[in-house]
Amino acid sequence: MDSGPAKRRKLDHSQDGAEKALESAVSTGGVSRSRAFILEAEELLEEVRIDYKTAFEGADQLLHKIKGSIEAIKAQEPLPILEAATKFEKKSKIKIPFPDPQPPKNSNYKVAFAKPAQFNVVGSYVSKTMLKTQKDHSVDMIVVLPQEILQEKDYLDLRYFYKRAYYLAVVANALQKEFGSDGQLSYEYLNGNPLCPVLAIQPKAPEATGKESKGCLQYRIRVIPCAPEGFFPKRKLHLGASLVRRGRDSESETPAHPTAFYNSTVSAEGSFMSYLKLLRQTEKKCAAFKKACILGRTWLQQRGFGGDISKGGFGHFEWSVLLALLLQGGQKMGHAALSTSLSATQLFKAQIQFLSVMNFSEKACVLGTESADLEEYIESGPILYDFARGLNVAFKMGHWSAALLHQHAKWTRNLMSDSSADQFTSTFILRADLPSHTFDLFAHLNYSDVLDEVIGNDYSESRGRVWQLGSKVYRVLNRALGDKELGERARVIHIQTPEQPGWALSEKPKDQSRAALEVGVLFDPANMSRVVDKGPSAGATAEEKEECDRFRRFWGDKAELRRFERDTIRETLVWKSTTPFEICEEIMRYILALHLRIGHLEDDISFYGNGLVDLLSIKPADTTLYNVARKEFSTFERDIRNLDDLPLRVRQIAPVCPELRHASVKPPVFGSLKSGPQPMDCIISFEASGKWPESIAAIQRTKIAFLLMIGNLLENSKQGVKTHVGLEDAHFETENLAFLDVIYESGPAFRLRIHSDLEESLLERQVKDKTLEQYLRQRATTQLAAFRRLYTNLPLHSQMINTSITRFPALGPTIRLVKHWFNSHKLSWHFSEEFVELVVLHVFLCPYPWDAPSSPSTGFMRVLLFLSRWDWRSEALIVDSNGELTGSDRMAIATRLEAWRKIDPNMNHTVLFVATAQETSGTAWTAVGGEARPGKVVAMRMTGLAKAAGRVMREGGLGLDPRRLFVPGLREYDVLIHLNSKVVKSCLKTYGHIDPSEGSAGREGARFKNLDVVTGEEMLPLARHPGDVLMEQLERVYGGPLVFFRGGAEEDCVIGAIWNPGVGRRTFRTGMGGSYKPVKQRKGEGEEEEEKVEVELNKEGMVAEMARLGGDLVEKIEMK
Amino acid sequence: MPSTPSTLGDFTVLPISIPPLPSFPKSTTHYLYLRRNTPKIPTPNDSRSLFLTNCPVDSTDLHLRSLFASLVGPGRFESATFEDERKDTAHKLSPLDAAVPVNAVHLLRAHGSTKKRKREEEEDADKSREDEAARLPSTWTRPLRRSGSTAVVLLADEKSVEQVLKACAKLPKTKKYPEWGAGDVASKVPALGSVWLKQHNRLCYPDPATLQQAVDAFSAVFARREKEAAEIAKRLRNEPDEDGFVTVTRGGRNAPASRSEAEEARKKMIERAEKKRQEMEGLYRFQLREKQKEEQEELLKRFEDDRKKLEAMRMKRGKFVPEA
Repeated sequence: MDSGPAKRRKLDHSQDGAEKALESAVSTGGVSRSRAFILEAEELLEEVRIDYKTAFEGADQLLHKIKGSIEAIKAQEPLPILEAATKFEKKSKIKIPFPDPQPPKNSNYKVAFAKPAQFNVVGSYVSKTMLKTQKDHSVDMIVVLPQEILQEKDYLDLRYFYKRAYYLAVVANALQKEFGSDGQLSYEYLNGNPLCPVLAIQPKAPEATGKESKGCLQYRIRVIPCAPEGFFPKRKLHLGASLVRRGRDSESETPAHPTAFYNSTVSAEGSFMSYLKLLRQTEKKCAAFKKACILGRTWLQQRGFGGDISKGGFGHFEWSVLLALLLQGGQKMGHAALSTSLSATQLFKAQIQFLSVMNFSEKACVLGTESADLEEYIESGPILYDFARGLNVAFKMGHWSAALLHQHAKWTRNLMSDSSADQFTSTFILRADLPSHTFDLFAHLNYSDVLDEVIGNDYSESRGRVWQLGSKVYRVLNRALGDKELGERARVIHIQTPEQPGWALSEKPKDQSRAALEVGVLFDPANMSRVVDKGPSAGATAEEKEECDRFRRFWGDKAELRRFERDTIRETLVWKSTTPFEICEEIMRYILALHLRIGHLEDDISFYGNGLVDLLSIKPADTTLYNVARKEFSTFERDIRNLDDLPLRVRQIAPVCPELRHASVKPPVFGSLKSGPQPMDCIISFEASGKWPESIAAIQRTKIAFLLMIGNLLENSKQGVKTHVGLEDAHFETENLAFLDVIYESGPAFRLRIHSDLEESLLERQVKDKTLEQYLRQRATTQLAAFRRLYTNLPLHSQMINTSITRFPALGPTIRLVKHWFNSHKLSWHFSEEFVELVVLHVFLCPYPWDAPSSPSTGFMRVLLFLSRWDWRSEALIVDSNGELTGSDRMAIATRLEAWRKIDPNMNHTVLFVATAQETSGTAWTAVGGEARPGKVVAMRMTGLAKAAGRVMREGGLGLDPRRLFVPGLREYDVLIHLNSKVVKSCLKTYGHIDPSEGSAGREGARFKNLDVVTGEEMLPLARHPGDVLMEQLERVYGGPLVFFRGGAEEDCVIGAIWNPGVGRRTFRTGMGGSYKPVKQRKGEGEEEEEKVEVELNKEGMVAEMARLGGDLVEKIEMK
Repeated sequence: MPSTPSTLGDFTVLPISIPPLPSFPKSTTHYLYLRRNTPKIPTPNDSRSLFLTNCPVDSTDLHLRSLFASLVGPGRFESATFEDERKDTAHKLSPLDAAVPVNAVHLLRAHGSTKKRKREEEEDADKSREDEAARLPSTWTRPLRRSGSTAVVLLADEKSVEQVLKACAKLPKTKKYPEWGAGDVASKVPALGSVWLKQHNRLCYPDPATLQQAVDAFSAVFARREKEAAEIAKRLRNEPDEDGFVTVTRGGRNAPASRSEAEEARKKMIERAEKKRQEMEGLYRFQLREKQKEEQEELLKRFEDDRKKLEAMRMKRGKFVPEA
């Protein structure tokens, strides 16, 4: 980690103080990039620490009392199990929690009760590694069954577990009598393992007893019966043994299935004490061990992992055991894998590294020896084998949870190597187990009809039938979607089995076969959209034949032979759907129905995750439309370059509009007659020339002349091209004054603006010129910013987005979804499209704690998550698509933001700060004309809306109708201007030779279409969308007192407005900006009463004005 | 509603009743404030003009004409100048003023106004004519006024001013407020609403010929100015200024070098110096040592910074608690 502190010491022995500081730095983990991470982790440890004295007040006494009462139970003579059970249940009204299958009728072995051999408190209560934030806190007390009531053979056929259950029931009965009044007793499964019921005692809430509840946790005590250490012979319990032979008596000829899970459970039953010893020893040896365990626990918890089988079977215990084993000697070459002198964060990182390299479900991981070969058992489940204690620590994991754990570890490792990201928050703070954020597709399987059919009465899998079904589903899906030969369609397939809650002593455990099985799939975006799967080629050799046979067996009738290029004939699957989501759905429905008969009925499987995409009807065909636009653009570029008579050579024509970078909400469609052409913006720049006049105004005029010339030349040289020079809405002669619209008869239209580099240097000179008047310099500054934005940054930005689109297939659709969201909430008027694109790109570049989103819906969800968490007051958004920014660059950007906040603490000029590698000033996309755009109020609204959306998503769960995220809250606006959509649409059509003020009277008169003047007349292009023009005018006129909101230019027909809260009653002066009415204000009392006239906003008057200027455009105006 | 005051400081309040519209069916009142015009720089017409503030956003000449006609009868109103129009002239937005080559501005400013102004009035007239020719066509049929903006109204004579003020003072008693846009004003002014927007789009695409003319007119003036500037520059090379210094300008016999050339040369020089400096770096041992020392200090500083940042984060609670 540290590159030799000794060397450093040699260099600066003169500086004592510095050396001390350095040493302190080294002691906290070295002067490295991860300093902040270490400090933050320390802080986290402090924050989640529990004060055990207050939190578990009374726990120790309670434990002693429990021990006492158990010891006081009278011993019972051995009785045949069934007889004893009936007798006991009748007498005590307590059910004995026998695991399934229930003990057979003919069993004649006997159960008895004797004083436990040993009591002990184990788990994280003794090691003090609990978290404040974990869901429930429990104190585990093991009760070791005395040897005299067990037999060595008991490991067979669940006999031990029946005896254990009986023992537990007897203990429960005794404790019920003792504690029934001041505590709640219930059964639950230890880690969701149906073989091991335990007794949970929940002391009455501290409030009830009238105690101080501050810092006191709602803990419970679990009484866990277990086997004496080493009682069952280890060699009989190896992973391949088949120990449950009953239930398959009829077909005893077939070789018995190995019962790996059962065997491991039996082993685990006898190894509580040895693991307790192992952990205590490691704690003593390695100072940072506990802290590393707490960090690990936090990491696992935020990813939804836990010791419970339904939570993946990898929890705190497994984490600490693995870490302890890694810290122990006896690894390869006799060395320990990790040094005990490492710090907590280093241990944590090392463990993550280990998990990211080892995938327990693919390769058996054996610790403690090199000789053991367990590869053959990997089929039955992930293997993390502790050789010394002979236990597969990962026995509770399913293949899917091991794969997911591996994936999470890989993501976290990537995060750890990315120094620019916020490592701490993504590692420990964010929840990474929300299905809508994690998986591209989520399905609920309703299996209750098929459970008996598929699984039958097979009890060889002790985790229950639902789990067994889940594992079958996983196997089928993994083969179908994760076939490496075909190209893996899914990166992760996850199965969520239902959790088993605790149950009352007098009842049976609740039946879980009604709860749905949940399947999550994370796509590989490159492969999931594949429509044709090419299987093995149909050759003549036996090998090939077998391949094909296997393929056909798995895929059934779907497999067909097809001929491909170079005369290869292959087994092929052809899917009908087009989008990745639909293909995945089709495959899942088909293959699950084929192999497991799930999904014959449509509602047996319900799929979630596509709602957002449907909402915007994003289709794969859209990509083609964007590509068509790009192609048209290259035609246009060629046409311009082919003009011979241009006085300067064209250097570049750069597209600068969202349509030409796959990022517009709607894909570009040409040749619609509903509106005038809406040209796509481009920038043309010429070779350097000294001919430009040395005056900005003259340059602008020259540009007009240039545009006129280009237009003329184009019209003359190309058939079917129309050009119009249009005027910008410029306020000064020094701004860009005009653009050229080029309209092709076939539909596409382009807007050209000329870039002159001299303009920039002239503006720069004005900005620097100290002799110039202040207002002129100010104006030059804003003009320079506008210039750079349009001519320098926009082309680069377009290029960057275009390359990123090819890098991340889901980026384009995500941008479109997010823009749609901004539109729906009427925010888009305030946010530049480029800003939105950069935010989305950031989420793809810094996707931690996940990988880059592979579908638009996860992308969208994570963008909302980012927006809701982005603290823009103190954090700059830095988007670095090619990794060009160095650490010091980033520091410089952060410093710039800090400086802005110091100069402008009220955030009038700079609010959001977004920097890229090309544009480090940070305000190119978030400020216009020296003003922050969006302003603070609007930015806060964005954050608020994103937070609200997050809440809705969490509450609504998976079944949430995504449309709910896009419903604007109109009630929040003070004024609502409803536009007449028909009139707005009519504004989209203007004609060169018809004066609109003459109205439609003439047109209505024309009875025959062919006599109508409008028919055949070319529509003028839209200089700007009329909706935008109206907004601009409203904002110019009422910029002070009102803030206006409107969604996208296209459909949104409701303009919302909010009165500026800062504009209240005030004394009168001229030029206040806004219409005011006089109000009499009484001041003072009695005789001294003095009338003072003040003014306040004439709100109704202003609304009436808006109605007047809107004219027929405005249907109605509502006012709060 | 309590009675509205008739004055507000030295302004007289003129309430105007606004008729309801289908989209906002409510009659409202707008308040116009007016007083005698007393600008800082007096003009001959001050005595017969009124200063208005809080003009409605859709004010036009015609609107005000009809308003004053309803107050004091027709024939008293001469013209109105709105705030944005006045600003135009104040800020010298004419294209001609913009058409001065940069170096000319610079030279002129450096050397005081040496330009001899002949026949000033004649020149002014010339200028406004040229100005008109070079101006680009407007894109709006009817500009909107900023809310709460001002205007100056020129009336027929001083007496009319008196009468208007008197009439306004009477209004609160009679409660008969004049109506905005009464009579046939609406049909005479260009319409707002959709027609207005359509007109705007249409006006954004002026006739290419007109556009070409404006550009040509501008370039003609600009070329003349440039020539003049070149002459001034040439003259300046030989003429000493007030202090007796002769400005030395770069360039050949005929014309001084353009500023951009000079700037480029400067840039090159700086670059060269920078390159040289870089070459020298790390040459001596003491330099290396110092550099390392600096790096170390930097590291320590960053360490401190991180700690400070952490403190700040600690202030904002909840940063360190895993989300539930």
